[in-house]
Amino acid sequence: MSELSVETREVGDVTLLYPRGFINAHTVRRFESEIQKALEQKHFKLVVNCEGLSYIASAGLGAIMGAIEEIRGNGGDLRLAGLNETVRNIFEILGFHHLYRIFPSEVEAIRSFRDGEGAAS
Amino acid sequence: MSAARGDAGGRKERAAATRRRPVAARPDLSLVVPSETSYLALIKELTKRMAEAAGFREGTPDRVALAVDEAATNVIEHAYHGAADRTFEVRYEDRGPEFQIEVVDTGAMVDPRAMPRVDLDRYVAERRTGGLGVHLMEKIMDSVTFQRSARRNVCRLVKRKDGTPEAR
Repeated sequence: MSELSVETREVGDVTLLYPRGFINAHTVRRFESEIQKALEQKHFKLVVNCEGLSYIASAGLGAIMGAIEEIRGNGGDLRLAGLNETVRNIFEILGFHHLYRIFPSEVEAIRSFRDGEGAAS
Repeated sequence: MSAARGDAGGRKERAAATRRRPVAARPDLSLVVPSETSYLALIKELTKRMAEAAGFREGTPDRVALAVDEAATNVIEHAYHGAADRTFEVRYEDRGPEFQIEVVDTGAMVDPRAMPRVDLDRYVAERRTGGLGVHLMEKIMDSVTFQRSARRNVCRLVKRKDGTPEAR
């Protein structure tokens, strides 16, 4: 598996990001760049499907933090789905699970946008 | 990159040697790593294996490895300001009741204690993205200390083995 690849696809007005590999200081630019592409296209409803993500370091968490205000300021949100135990644990250690909505699957994350559910905070 | 492995079962011998004459403790394993972020994954994987060898289980090796990844990232980005032509050392030592990792660099003095404490609510409001690494290290490890001596920065991370089952 390569260090990090990030595929994207659209489901209605929701943009899904699929990071595969790991996000650390070495790979974070690729992840940031895909988030920025979505924002440049005025796509503010994002779901990061983490099923292929083995771990995320603070650089990756910082990338999410750096974009979230613009996303929420435009009426959108960044939601996460399919976290493995390692990634979920990192989110919980930092208290990020209080700041971001986390779903077991991307289907549920997409549905939460359709149902008009608000951001975590 | 170079590595040096301590001799098997050498801890007792080293303890005896220490009683005979005052010598510095020798790490079980030390690595000299180029200051490039491409080596972070290697450091993380090695740290995980060393933590497993020290007896940690159930997610703790992954978390300890992440803490060391963060310490190494700090060296590359802050002590060396991204310069890729430097090196730093990572030392592992199973000290019996605790597992110790030292990340040693010869870069600029960085005082992480000068960093503001992380307040996640303010983080979102202020769009700040720095300082999370030290916060993560402190949450994962039992002790994180930073020392400056002989023009070297030493970040010492310690994980005790007698923690709660959740901590281990």
